[in-house]
Amino acid sequence: MKTPFFLLAGFLTASALAQDIPYREYEPFERYEPIVSGDLMLSGTYQHWKDPANLDFRMAGNPDENWKLNWKFMDPPFNQTVHGGHFAVDRGERLFKQLDVYGTFASCLSDRSGSPRNLRAGYPRWRADLGRVAGLEEVIEHCGAKQGRVLQNGSYDNSAISIYLASIGNGQPINIDVTAGPMKASFERGRRLFHAKAGAFNFSCASCHTHNIGKRLRGNVITTIYGDVAHYPVYRTQYMLQSLQLRFAECNLDTRTQPLRPGSQPYTDLEVFVTALTNGYPISVPAERDW
Amino acid sequence: MRLLLAGLALLLATPVWCADIPSDAGVDGGKTMAPQIVVNSGRLEWAPHKRDLTRWLTLSYQDRRATPEPTRFDMKLPLAGDKARGKTLAWEWCIACHTLPGDEWPGNVGSPMVHYKQYKHADPLIFQQIFDARVFNPNTVMPAFGTFGLLAEQEIRDLVAYLQSIE
Ligand code: HEC
Ligand code: HEC
Repeated sequence: MKTPFFLLAGFLTASALAQDIPYREYEPFERYEPIVSGDLMLSGTYQHWKDPANLDFRMAGNPDENWKLNWKFMDPPFNQTVHGGHFAVDRGERLFKQLDVYGTFASCLSDRSGSPRNLRAGYPRWRADLGRVAGLEEVIEHCGAKQGRVLQNGSYDNSAISIYLASIGNGQPINIDVTAGPMKASFERGRRLFHAKAGAFNFSCASCHTHNIGKRLRGNVITTIYGDVAHYPVYRTQYMLQSLQLRFAECNLDTRTQPLRPGSQPYTDLEVFVTALTNGYPISVPAERDW
Repeated sequence: MRLLLAGLALLLATPVWCADIPSDAGVDGGKTMAPQIVVNSGRLEWAPHKRDLTRWLTLSYQDRRATPEPTRFDMKLPLAGDKARGKTLAWEWCIACHTLPGDEWPGNVGSPMVHYKQYKHADPLIFQQIFDARVFNPNTVMPAFGTFGLLAEQEIRDLVAYLQSIE
């Protein structure tokens, strides 16, 4: 007598999996111009953020007006005061050197090519050994585990190593190639995801970051996504040290969307997309963000 | 009969989230978890989030749930809304995007709601805008409060009553 119910339960699960692609909504993402009137009203610098060649910290003008740019111009080397990000760099350096006594950690991170200095500017990248496109933090976790060290993606120590590696590459322009192969595929998936609506409010990342730039959500001013990756991971008092993928999780939670785990395929694809939009921007860490 | 009941109980107890919630979501025990960073630790902790978000669509590729489609709702008159309750709700749900009277940090993603009464919009129209604005504008960023189950019918009536009362 019990069996039919098991069968029924099994059938319900199977039919749920066998459905075709369900109804989805996207922010328009073919050939659109971001709506930046809000930013033009506020600071008038959007066009410079879109083009790194025009990057100039003096644009912030009066330092008291920096908030209009959401701190982008307060990042080091412009913010010289010591904050928690500097302690994270120090810890990251110690951890890195502990793990790299025999040079194995660095060669694992770089996949046996190039100097640790160039790691930040060149990630995410295709990792043949992992069989996938991976972000720097995912690879730090992977290479730590090889030596029996737990460095979970998104954890403080993982991000500390990541921010240390970024710091030794300070000034280098972010440079990832998304024109071919798995990187291009990942970029395209990320672009689509960036415009995909989800969660209780049915927002996409683009709902805010391309269509309402410079506008106010109460106290918060929304900024463009261009250039963001160059100052990640960031120090924030409330989160201590935040990796880029944990920032995605925070934006998800803030908009009542169930977050995903760092290192998941969708977050990595989003990272590839926003990193490509940061191509050309110089690495500048450790950066500090409000609260 | 006992077996039949046991079978029924089993079927009902089969958690819906088993099939629905993707495995790469930050979920534990069927509930939304938020990442917690612990200083000087190699582990990322997860703690229960203040609200459970598992019933809505995620960005996971495994997520096979559909987005609720734009829905019309025929509001029956009379409105019978409570404008005081509506005000409380508006300060909770609408203030981030719309400016309301008395707000010092006005949001400006949506239009300002000060002097809203002057527009003399019909109640059912405002109701529909709050219930599901996609019916009027498929690309709107205003959440579909009714269709997505965020606000109950009576709460939307209260909001309409409040908006219609803003001198
Ligand atoms: C409701 C609007 C909203 C949505 C939707 C949203 N964000 Fe954000 N996001 C913000 C605000 C506000 C900030 C903080 C201010 C800023 O830096 O723009 C922010 C910050 C960020 C930052 C850090 C910027 C910096 O310089 O520190 C990144 C990266 C980011 N968001 C990515 C995303 C991604 C990816 C998504 C989609 C999963 C997303 N956001 C969805 C509003 C939003
Ligand atoms: C994420 C931002 C956002 C939130 C939150 C939001 N709205 Fe809106 N609202 C908009 C936008 C944008 C418009 C402009 C029309 C459109 O795009 O649908 C709008 C339009 C409206 C309109 C019609 C415009 C007019 O001037 O008559 C009404 C009524 C309205 N909103 C009520 C509400 C109420 C009530 C709430 C809270 C329950 C709310 N909105 C929450 C963004 C928002």
